[in-house]
Amino acid sequence: MTQPKHTHPLGYLQHTAKQLKDYWFLILLALWQWGNLSAFWRLTMVLALVVWLLVWPLLQWLTLTYLIEPTAVVVNSGIFIRHHQHIPYSRIQTVQRKQWFYLRPFHLETVQIETASHQDDEPEVKLPAVPTTVADTLNAYRFDLPLTPDSAPATAQTAPETAAPDLPDIRQRYVTNPHSMVLFALTGTGIIPLALVLLTLYGKLPHQWTDSLINDATHWAVPLLIGGAILVLLVAWLGAFAWILIRYYHFTLTRTSSQLQVAKGLFQRNTITAPLARVQAVRCKQTILRQWLHLQTVQILLASKAATDDDNDDLVILPAIVQSRLYTTLNPFIDWTPPMAPRLTQLIVPRPARWLLSRNAVLVVILPVLIVGWLWQPWGWLSALLIPLAILQGQYAARNTAGSLLTHQLLVLQTGHFWTRETFFVRKAQIQSLRVTWSVWMQKRQLAHLTVNVRHGNHNQEITLRYISAKQAERLYQWYKA
Amino acid sequence: MHTTKSLPPRIKRIWGYSALGSLLALLVITGLLWLAHQFWHWTPWLAVLGAILTVIEPVIEFALIPYRYRFSRYQITPTAVEMQSGWLFKKRLAIPIARVQNVTLNAGPLLQWQHLTQVTVATAATSHTIEGLELPVAEQLRDQIMQLAQEARHDPA
Repeated sequence: MTQPKHTHPLGYLQHTAKQLKDYWFLILLALWQWGNLSAFWRLTMVLALVVWLLVWPLLQWLTLTYLIEPTAVVVNSGIFIRHHQHIPYSRIQTVQRKQWFYLRPFHLETVQIETASHQDDEPEVKLPAVPTTVADTLNAYRFDLPLTPDSAPATAQTAPETAAPDLPDIRQRYVTNPHSMVLFALTGTGIIPLALVLLTLYGKLPHQWTDSLINDATHWAVPLLIGGAILVLLVAWLGAFAWILIRYYHFTLTRTSSQLQVAKGLFQRNTITAPLARVQAVRCKQTILRQWLHLQTVQILLASKAATDDDNDDLVILPAIVQSRLYTTLNPFIDWTPPMAPRLTQLIVPRPARWLLSRNAVLVVILPVLIVGWLWQPWGWLSALLIPLAILQGQYAARNTAGSLLTHQLLVLQTGHFWTRETFFVRKAQIQSLRVTWSVWMQKRQLAHLTVNVRHGNHNQEITLRYISAKQAERLYQWYKA
Repeated sequence: MHTTKSLPPRIKRIWGYSALGSLLALLVITGLLWLAHQFWHWTPWLAVLGAILTVIEPVIEFALIPYRYRFSRYQITPTAVEMQSGWLFKKRLAIPIARVQNVTLNAGPLLQWQHLTQVTVATAATSHTIEGLELPVAEQLRDQIMQLAQEARHDPA
């Protein structure tokens, strides 16, 4: 492998598919204008579309070459501007393998490589349709190298350096339990956008249909309309349910001595490998619905955008785990998480301060409610329902805000935003900066806000606990800067 | 508290000029709104609103300068960079030296003219700015932070 290689010819298909996905609206535009154009312009347009949607991907495919060297991955790409990328293995944050079902018979897959550099949107390297051996070779080279401590803050702490670097050394494996997975899919929030879209379409149904229905059966009209709406919601719910099950199909989490690997997906099998030493923080997340069902989702925050399809770009490592088994399951995969449920009693919102969170939530919604109510009388006043909702959300936030310094190195913070409880586990070495803020009025009540900044994706994850005791916030500040 | 340092007094003059700048910008905007009223019959209330803002905003900005100066402080210890600011809304921030990725000195025309510079300390996730320091102090600070950062990184703490 000394000559740079092209990807498999099927890679051309991938490039074309991506181009079509990004520019399908051009075709619509062309069809829409078809009638208004002269033959000459029609020809020009068809030619332009062919070049842009078929020839351009071909050039992309032709100019993309890669080389897996013992020390680095080298990728050449670009049509007018040539890119020559040289990525040493020690810089790689995550390797992602994506295999669409139609590539499986050919033993091909798409390989994506991410580093910690601050580059947005696109992965550093994307090789569509390369043999599966490429990622294997790459991983073999990657783990043969001793993990050199690099400049990224992630490795400032003591990582297990003695780790034997062979890939098949599997320490732990976790496969999702079908029962929890079904509950998880049933309680997904994906239904909300889907239902909104479908309900809008439902409202846009040609009026003749609904009118004739109403004429035919006047006394049935209301039940029919409501029944239709319920049907739409049901369809949305099933759609969201199927979507989650397909995405997380046969979810497997594997731990080797130094890596975490997640594999999931039915039509597109997605395998992501991330070094344990680069985990910035662990987040357990549950919506209020899943709180009632005692179901948690665990994600890891990484310093790269490896998991763009996942919730908030963070890699899901345990999609649906029963609360009581969370800590015993998580600990073997990530050593520094507590082996049992921690007591989060140090950082809480004092009871007399709880109403402040409700007050703030009300302040946020009051102006929109007044405007909407005034503009669209009388139905606009229905938006006043947001006010009790805001009060409840404030109470929810107050009750769920919690945290503790578990060990001298490990901080646990819990927040409750938008009816979702999030628990973060962060090690001191991964906290990039810490801020305490308070206003004069809060000073009188001995309250403060605490903000912890952690790297996540290519950005910053701010974890803010609001209205906690000033004394505890100060204690954490002193702990952090020491 | 005695170890925290305040910004150089000349920064007040910069803030004063920047308030003057806002005044000018708002004047121009108000003028344009008035012209729009003259030529395209936009509602005159927009121009009135602009005029009110033109008076209020720079006055507040001017009035707050002594407070802003008095309560903006910074401190470099061997382990951390600390910044604090504000009185009505107080803020304290700590960045451990070991988390510092780089230090940038930035100076716009006003700051250059006064031989001052902004110091921005960046971590892997966030960046934080000290609003203005004497150029030699800033350079010394940068070297000091980077020196400490180097040491902190070599030290397997």
